[in-house]
Amino acid sequence: MSGTAPTHGHSRTLFWAAAALSVLMFLPMAWVLVLSVTENEALSRGTEAAFSGPYTLKNYTDIAGNSGVFRWFANSLVVAVGQTIGVLILASLAGYAFGRLEWPGRRLVFVIVLFGLAVPEQAVIIPRHQIFSTLNLHNTYIALILPGLSLPFGVFLMTQFFRAIPPEIDEAAALDNASRWRIFWKVLLPLTLPAQATLGIFTFLFAWNDYWWPLISATDKDMYTLTVGIASSQVNFAQTEGLGFLAAQAVFAALPVLIVYIIFQKHVVTAVSGGAVK
Amino acid sequence: MAAPHRQSRPSNALFAAPYLVVFVALLVVPLCWGVYLSLQKADLFGLYGYTGWTNYARVLGDALFWQAVRNTVVFVAVTVPVLVAIGLFLGLALNARTRGAAFMRGVYFSSTVLSVTIVTLIWRFVFIPGDGLLSLAFEAMGWPPIGFLSTQGWSLFSVGVATVWWCLGLPMILILAALQQIPGDLYEAAALDNASRWRTFTRVTLPQIRNTLILVATIQIVMQFQLFGQAQLMTNGGPNGTSRPMVLYIYRAAFENWDVGQGAAASELLFLIILVAAMGQFWITNRGNKA
Amino acid sequence: MSASIDIHHLTKRFGALTVLDDISLAIEDGEFVVFLGPSGCGKSTLLRMIAGLEAVNEGEIALGGRRIDTLPPGERGVAMVFQSYALYPHMTVRQNMAFGLENVGTPRDEIARRTDAAAKVLEIDHLLERKPQMLSGGQRQRVAIGRAIVKEPRAFLFDEPLSNLDAALRGRTRLELAQLHQRLGTTMIFVTHDQVEAMTLADRIVVMHDRRIEQIGTPMEIYQRPATKFVAGFVGAPAMSMLPLSGVTRGPLGARLEVAGVGHIDSAVTLPEGFATQGASIGIRAEDTRPDAGADTGADRGTGAGPDMNTGSNTGSGPNTGPGSLPLTVDVIERLGDRTLLHGHLPDGTVLVAQDTGRSQVAPGQVVPVGVDPHAVHVFDAAGRAHHAGEVR
Repeated sequence: MSGTAPTHGHSRTLFWAAAALSVLMFLPMAWVLVLSVTENEALSRGTEAAFSGPYTLKNYTDIAGNSGVFRWFANSLVVAVGQTIGVLILASLAGYAFGRLEWPGRRLVFVIVLFGLAVPEQAVIIPRHQIFSTLNLHNTYIALILPGLSLPFGVFLMTQFFRAIPPEIDEAAALDNASRWRIFWKVLLPLTLPAQATLGIFTFLFAWNDYWWPLISATDKDMYTLTVGIASSQVNFAQTEGLGFLAAQAVFAALPVLIVYIIFQKHVVTAVSGGAVK
Repeated sequence: MAAPHRQSRPSNALFAAPYLVVFVALLVVPLCWGVYLSLQKADLFGLYGYTGWTNYARVLGDALFWQAVRNTVVFVAVTVPVLVAIGLFLGLALNARTRGAAFMRGVYFSSTVLSVTIVTLIWRFVFIPGDGLLSLAFEAMGWPPIGFLSTQGWSLFSVGVATVWWCLGLPMILILAALQQIPGDLYEAAALDNASRWRTFTRVTLPQIRNTLILVATIQIVMQFQLFGQAQLMTNGGPNGTSRPMVLYIYRAAFENWDVGQGAAASELLFLIILVAAMGQFWITNRGNKA
Repeated sequence: MSASIDIHHLTKRFGALTVLDDISLAIEDGEFVVFLGPSGCGKSTLLRMIAGLEAVNEGEIALGGRRIDTLPPGERGVAMVFQSYALYPHMTVRQNMAFGLENVGTPRDEIARRTDAAAKVLEIDHLLERKPQMLSGGQRQRVAIGRAIVKEPRAFLFDEPLSNLDAALRGRTRLELAQLHQRLGTTMIFVTHDQVEAMTLADRIVVMHDRRIEQIGTPMEIYQRPATKFVAGFVGAPAMSMLPLSGVTRGPLGARLEVAGVGHIDSAVTLPEGFATQGASIGIRAEDTRPDAGADTGADRGTGAGPDMNTGSNTGSGPNTGPGSLPLTVDVIERLGDRTLLHGHLPDGTVLVAQDTGRSQVAPGQVVPVGVDPHAVHVFDAAGRAHHAGEVR
C-alpha cells in the first residue's frame, strides 16, 4: 500500500500542520493539569505560580477530604452504569423485535421511533420535569436514569445489527427446534456483542456527561452527579476553595471518561464512524 | 402468508414492548404534553387554564427572546462552517495508516468525551481575567488585557472557541470514515489521468464525501442550536444577554422564573427553528450540488 | 427412521408472483434426489418449503405419510445443510452440533455420544472445541453436515452445499456425500444448478424450469432421453445443438429430417402422423456427430462411421449434397485433449458443435461434412416436447 499512499490525497504537510495545531488541544488541558498540582496559596497570589511552583498533590488529597465530590462521583457511576445496562437490555430486545421479527404495525412503529431521533432535549425536558415532579421522583436515581432509556439511538443501532446477521442463522436455529426466546438469547444476542460494546460505551459516556437533566432534576446536593457538582463549585469561580483545588476536581472528574476513552478508543472511533456511514 | 418461523405474530411485539413503554412515557407523551403546555397558563406547580396563543405572543413580543434568537443564529452560522472546515482539514491530514496519524486522531477526539462542565472549567482557566492562560500571555506580550467572558462580543466568541474545541472530534471522525470509503483505484485512475493534487481533491475527493459533509453540517446545526451548558457556565448569558442562547432563555423562563407555559412555547419555537434550519440546509445543499 | 416424501399439487406465490406452480413429486424412502435447474427456477424454494422455511400456499407435503407442511421447521424431522453453512459463529463445533439436541431436551450423554460418533465419521473430531471462524471452508462444510447428522433426521436437505468450495474439494466432497448416503440410507434431497453434481449423486434427478418440473428421471434417462427441449439444452456440455426442422419424409430407419438450405439427416425417430414441423427442431449432441475431416482432404479416416451412420464421406458427392450429412464450416476449434470440439455453422447460419478425436487435423475455416448417429437424434415439437429413437442404445 505504501506505493500508492501518495496518490491517495494524503499529504505530509497537512499531517505536520495538524500535529502542530494539536498543541491547541493539549495546551488548555495541560494548563489545568499544572494548576491542579500547584499549591493553592501560591496560586492565590497569581497563576504565574504554575510556572514556578511550589508543586504539590495536596489539591488531590483535599478531594478525598471533600465528601461531596466522592458522593457525586458515586452518583454519576450509579446513573451511568444503570442507564447503560437499561439501554442495552431495552435496545437489544427492541432491536430483535424490529430487525428480526414480524408483527402487525412493526414498520409504522419503527418509523415513529426513528422520528424520535430528531426530537431535541429542550422540546421534552419541561414536561419530563413535570412528570417526575408529579410522581415525586426528583432527586432519585430513577429520575436520573429513566429519561436516558427513552432515546431511540440504541434501538436504531441494535436493529441495524440484528438485520445484518444472515437470515440463515435464524433458519438453522428454527430447524434446530429453538424457540423465539432461545434464538434471541442463545444464537443472535451473542452475535451482537460488538454492537453491545459500542452502544455500552456510548451510553456510558453520554450518561456520565449529561448536564441539563441532572441539573434540573437533582436539586439536592447529595444527589448531584459529578457534572452538576463540578458546575456548582464553579459558580463563584474566583473565591472558591482555590483555583488549584478546582483544577484538581476537573482532572478528577475527567479521568474516568478519559480512561474509558483511552482503553476503548478504537471501539469509540469505529462506532462513531460505522454507525453514521450506514 | 409468511413461513411459519417468521410469521407475523402480535406476541413478537412483546420484545419491543419494554422499550416502547419508556419511549412513549418519556418521549412521545412529553413531546405532546409540551405542545399542550405551551397553550396553557402554567407554572412549576400547576396549570391555570387554556390561554390560546398568549404564551407564544409573550415570547415573540419579548426583546430578550429575539436577542437570544440572534445570538444563537450568529453562533450557529459561525461555529458550524468552522467545525466542518476543521473536520475536513483534520480528516485529510490524518487519513493515513501510520501510528502518528492514529495518535493525532485520538488527541483531537479526546475533548469530545469530556462533559460540558469540564470543558467550560478548562476554558475558564484559559479565559479568566488576570489569572487565565490568555491573560498571562497578553501580559507577557505587553498587550492590554481583554475580559473575554465579560465583554460584549468577546463573550459569545469565547463560548464559540470552547464549543469548537469540544465538538471538533465528531466531524473529523465522520469525514475520516467517508474518506476511507473512497476506493483507492479512483485515485490511481486520477493519477494515471495526470490530475494535479488540487484537481484530485476537488474532482474526486470532494464529490465522494459530499453526502457526509452534508450529514456533518446537519448534525452540527441541530447540535449547536441547542447550545446551553457552555453559555450557562462560562458567561451565564452575559453581559446583558449578549451571549444568551435560546435554550438558556428557555431554561430561565421555565426553571428560574417558573413560567412553564412561556418556556414550553419558546421550546416549541426553537424546535421549529431547528427543523426548518436543518431541512433548509439539507435542501439547499442538495439542490445546489445537483444543479 | 428414514422416510418417503410426498408432494401434492404444491403452489408457491410471493405476492402476485408465482414461483412454483402445481408441483407434484413422490420421493421414495432412502432415495437420493437432486433438484436441478437454472437459478430462479424455484428449486431452492421447493426445498425450503419442505424444510418449513417458506410457507405453502396450496398443496400438501407429507413425510413418511404424515402431513408436515403446517408444522414449524424444527418439528418436521428434517435437517438442512445451507449453502453458507449457517454455523453459529460464537459456538464451538461441539456446541453447534449439540444445539438442536439440547433444544429438544436430549440427555447429555446421548448428545455426547451422537456428537462424537458424527465427528468421527466426518473426521472432524479434532476440531470439536474450535469455533467456525478457525475452520477452513471444507471443515465448515463438514461441521454443517455433522450438525445435520446428529439430529438423526428422517430426511436430509442440501441447499447447494458444495458451491462455496474450490473445485478439487468439491469433487472430493461429492464423493463423500455419495458414501454418506450409502451408509446412512436416509432420504436426501440435494439442490444444485451444477449438472455434474446432479449426474454423479442422484438416484433420480428432478429437472426444474420456470416454476415447473420439466422431467423426473435417472441421470441416464435425463441425459439420453430428455423429455423437453429445455432439459436437452440444460443438461450436457457442450449444450445440445438445435437445428430448425423444415420437413419430414420417410427414411430407411425412421424419419428423414429436412433442414432447409442445409440438407437432411436420417434418424431412427418415429414421428406421429401429421407431425407439425412449424417451430420444431432437431437436437444433436456433439458426441453423436462424426465429422469426416478426411472428406475435405481426400484422406480415408476409416473410423467412427458405423454402417448406419449418416455420413456423406463414402458417397463421393460434395459436402452440400451428401445424403444425411451436414456441411459444417468450422469457426473455432476447442481442444480438450481426449477429444476436440468443432464449433461452426451450417449454410443457413445455424450453429452446431461437432466432436472429433483428440488428434483432429481440422483447421478453422475448413468445411467438414458431419455425420450424425441416427439413434441419437432428438426431435422437439413446437411446444418443446421430445421424440426419441425407439430404444436407448
